[in-house]
Amino acid sequence: MDDATTPARRHSRRRFLALSGTTGLAGLAGCSAERVDEGADGEGDESNGTDDAGGTNTTEETGDEQPTLTVATYGAFVDAPSVSPGAWLKDTFESRVDATVEWATPDNELNYYLERAASGASIDADLYVGLTTEDLVRADTELDADLFAEAGAIDGGDAVRDGLRFDPFGRAVPFDTGYVSLVYDGTEMTAPETFEGLLDDDHRGALIAQNPGSSSTGRSFLLHTIHRFGDGGDEGGYGGGGDETVEGADGDPDYDYLDYWADLQANDVRVLGSWEDAYTAWSNGEAPMVVSYSTDQVFAADAGEELERHQIRFLNDEAYATPEGMAVFADADEPALAREFMSFLLEPAVQGEIAKRNVAFPATTTAALPDEYASLAKEPATPVTFGYDDLQGSLDGWITDWERQVAGN
Amino acid sequence: MSDTPHRLRDRVKRRALAALTAATVAVLVVVFYYPVGTVLVEAVVVDGRLTLTVFADLLRDPFYLGEVARLFTGEGPVAVARALAAPDRRLGIVGFTAYQAVLSTILSVALGLPAAYVLARFEFPGRRTLRSVTILPFVLPSIMVAVGFVATFGRNGTLNAVLTAVGVPRVELMFTLEAILIAHAFYNAPLVARVTTAAWESVDASAVETARSLGAGPLRAFLDVVAPQLYPAVLTSAALTFVFTFGTFPIVLALGGFELATVEVFVYRLARDLQYAEAAALALVELAIALGVLFAYLRYEAATAVSARRVRPLPRKPLWPTAWTPRALAERAGIVTYAGIVAVVFLAPIVSMLLASVTTADGSLTLDHYRFLLTRQQTGAAFQVRPWPAVRNSVLFAGASALVALPMGVVVAVITTRASRGRSLVGAVAMAPFAVSGIVVGLGLLRGLVFGVEVAGWRIAVAGSAAIVAAHAVAGYPFVVRTVAPGLASLDASLVESARALGASRARALFDIELPLVWPGVVAGAAFAVAISMGEFTATVVLATGADAYTMPVAIERFIGRRLGPATAMGVVLLVVTGVSFLVIERLGGEVRDY
Repeated sequence: MDDATTPARRHSRRRFLALSGTTGLAGLAGCSAERVDEGADGEGDESNGTDDAGGTNTTEETGDEQPTLTVATYGAFVDAPSVSPGAWLKDTFESRVDATVEWATPDNELNYYLERAASGASIDADLYVGLTTEDLVRADTELDADLFAEAGAIDGGDAVRDGLRFDPFGRAVPFDTGYVSLVYDGTEMTAPETFEGLLDDDHRGALIAQNPGSSSTGRSFLLHTIHRFGDGGDEGGYGGGGDETVEGADGDPDYDYLDYWADLQANDVRVLGSWEDAYTAWSNGEAPMVVSYSTDQVFAADAGEELERHQIRFLNDEAYATPEGMAVFADADEPALAREFMSFLLEPAVQGEIAKRNVAFPATTTAALPDEYASLAKEPATPVTFGYDDLQGSLDGWITDWERQVAGN
Repeated sequence: MSDTPHRLRDRVKRRALAALTAATVAVLVVVFYYPVGTVLVEAVVVDGRLTLTVFADLLRDPFYLGEVARLFTGEGPVAVARALAAPDRRLGIVGFTAYQAVLSTILSVALGLPAAYVLARFEFPGRRTLRSVTILPFVLPSIMVAVGFVATFGRNGTLNAVLTAVGVPRVELMFTLEAILIAHAFYNAPLVARVTTAAWESVDASAVETARSLGAGPLRAFLDVVAPQLYPAVLTSAALTFVFTFGTFPIVLALGGFELATVEVFVYRLARDLQYAEAAALALVELAIALGVLFAYLRYEAATAVSARRVRPLPRKPLWPTAWTPRALAERAGIVTYAGIVAVVFLAPIVSMLLASVTTADGSLTLDHYRFLLTRQQTGAAFQVRPWPAVRNSVLFAGASALVALPMGVVVAVITTRASRGRSLVGAVAMAPFAVSGIVVGLGLLRGLVFGVEVAGWRIAVAGSAAIVAAHAVAGYPFVVRTVAPGLASLDASLVESARALGASRARALFDIELPLVWPGVVAGAAFAVAISMGEFTATVVLATGADAYTMPVAIERFIGRRLGPATAMGVVLLVVTGVSFLVIERLGGEVRDY
């Protein structure tokens, strides 16, 4: 087991995969065979110290090969049609550290790695960038073993804003955040200032939201309504077991999020499948308000569009915060390098670049951002969000109850 | 000594069908049945134990099954039937999904048949080109269709602009069941048209002439001679349309909204949240219904095969009639009306898409979106998706997968038309790639192929180009079966028997006698195989992970941003490349051969 966990072995394993991928018929068919090695992917001892040294040792042992850091993330982080931080991060990090950064962007995002772990396949990545609170809850619920290792002391980790830390077990470190808010066409209407205002007759059919089952903005907006109106306990519904009831900020225990959604439905809210569906319909004037991100004006200004048509509204001066975190895989080949990359992402200048290129907000208090950025990217007076403990065991019931109410055929 | 290769060749020829069958089964098992099985089994195996509770809970849940769920809670069929007849009946998600699929099928057949009539019975310039590109809508990703539909049928869309201009009240089509039905017809009426055209072109003119010479009027001759040979094709395409629209997913939420959610929406949600047992159980219910419809259709086809001996296609009429008889006038008036409907339902959304690719947010013309494609091609990083490799891969995969799908489809068609027992069952099972939830297929390929299987201490994994080609072939081959089998079934068995009596191998009889007689079906099948491959997303994105094997639909998805310009530009590239491929296929396939 000990020798199986040394980086040298792992390197040779990857090289075998590479070889088999390029030679002969097996290569043509894209077949690969990998020796299943007990312990290679198992829960090794916490040998980060040796791995650390091993990372450089390997380089010496196998010639002048640079260590490769495989960073898994979602597609838009490295390949969006407008801007994305991937290329800049890779170039900058590689110019400083003697290593190669490789991006991995499987379409199923984190689920891909959960599946790999559940199937007993090796993880083949060192770091995941772009974790949400809910991703982490799902990973912990699904897998018996830990998918991620504790972050430990990361240089610059102290600068992360307290309200954003979402992992009670210290694995995920937030690197940016977004806010889900309303975007409305100011030439058509003035959006209401409160949740209740959305129920006015004036705003009948005026809002397009997204399905929380297939869209993260839709999920955030649903969670925001739960935060506002509470989940009404678990009488009769599929709501999580036990007594963990979210008390709404509206102060009315008899009116929960499902009541609010019933009223929204009565006022002809549209719930489409994805953010793209909703934004396309909104852009074509099907309705004047859409659930989207509070950075909308950054894109609008970039595209030379009229800002009046891209107004942001924070209902009740709040917005649902969606912090994104990064965490080292427990199975990482290069855990030390991965942690170096994490602290790189927290540097003030890098935080500013990520915010601009990912069109989001920095996670640290020390980020260097030009002042004009704040004039287009809006932050709410009161960010709200559910933490790990709130979501665990409750999220599925909340969504199921909502689905059963809205799609009642 | 010199006769050894001959003998070998003879043996190969004799065994060719058996070998092809074995290869077909192997491909199906490796890239379809096994991967899909790894997911579906989770419905009944939970935590390593066999259980039916997940399934039972699902069947008893009125949310999914509506009033039918009461059957599973112990109520009698009569009480359930009475509840279903009541005005306040509950259909449940499954019931609603079937309901909208039936409506979509009716609309698709209604909009597809006139096109088949025009394409098969009339001669006009550009007819072959038009026939070739009929099934273009098939390859369009749903987000592209959504863009085209909002621009056409939306509140401020083209249709309302036209209606206002002619003084007719505006229509609110978006976010209604009607919008979904029209979108389903947009995808599937071309399928009805293409399959039926192929069948119509195989109708033997001499049979019609005989009927007419015996005194039958044109209508009588049509109903007695032509129509029976069209029913299989119409029913094939209707059955396929039902299955496709029953498994519909993103388009429903893009144009309708969550109130109109279908089964697949919930399969997706459950799988995304890793509730595999529930997702698999729901996918099994979905599969059972889809396969049931296919099975029923195949039973019908087996019972009603009509024999035809030889084929001389019906002569085509000129679109501009030689004499304006009342009948010719009525026919032309119908065609003009139909052309108007086609312009609104099919052309307008595609034209809107083209326009979206050359306009900015404020409506002025621009080539920026195409410039984006060029820039991305030139400066895109290695880990980014670039347009040219996507085009190249799409074309290569489509060509290769059609070459694999054709023999697979022909072999299965031969087996299911010649086998006497259980042919409908085999036929239905062979159609499973159409009937299984796309989400389950994607997840299965990930587990079964990308992650691999442990065999004797080795983990064997399959991914990359060859796996994508195989997956595309499996996704497309049922089309070849469905476009070839009805024709084969209608061939007189004595044709093959006499050929074999004269010493021809089974394979030779197939290639020299049967296939030429059903050639329009083979060409149509090839076009569908290419269309499926060009538009395929789920399997490609799973199997291309880590390899530069992405295709045009993957590129479109990557280029979707806050503005849809770059994605629509790539969508137009997809349309053009696919359209050209169709033309090439039809030219290679040639017209119906005359004998």
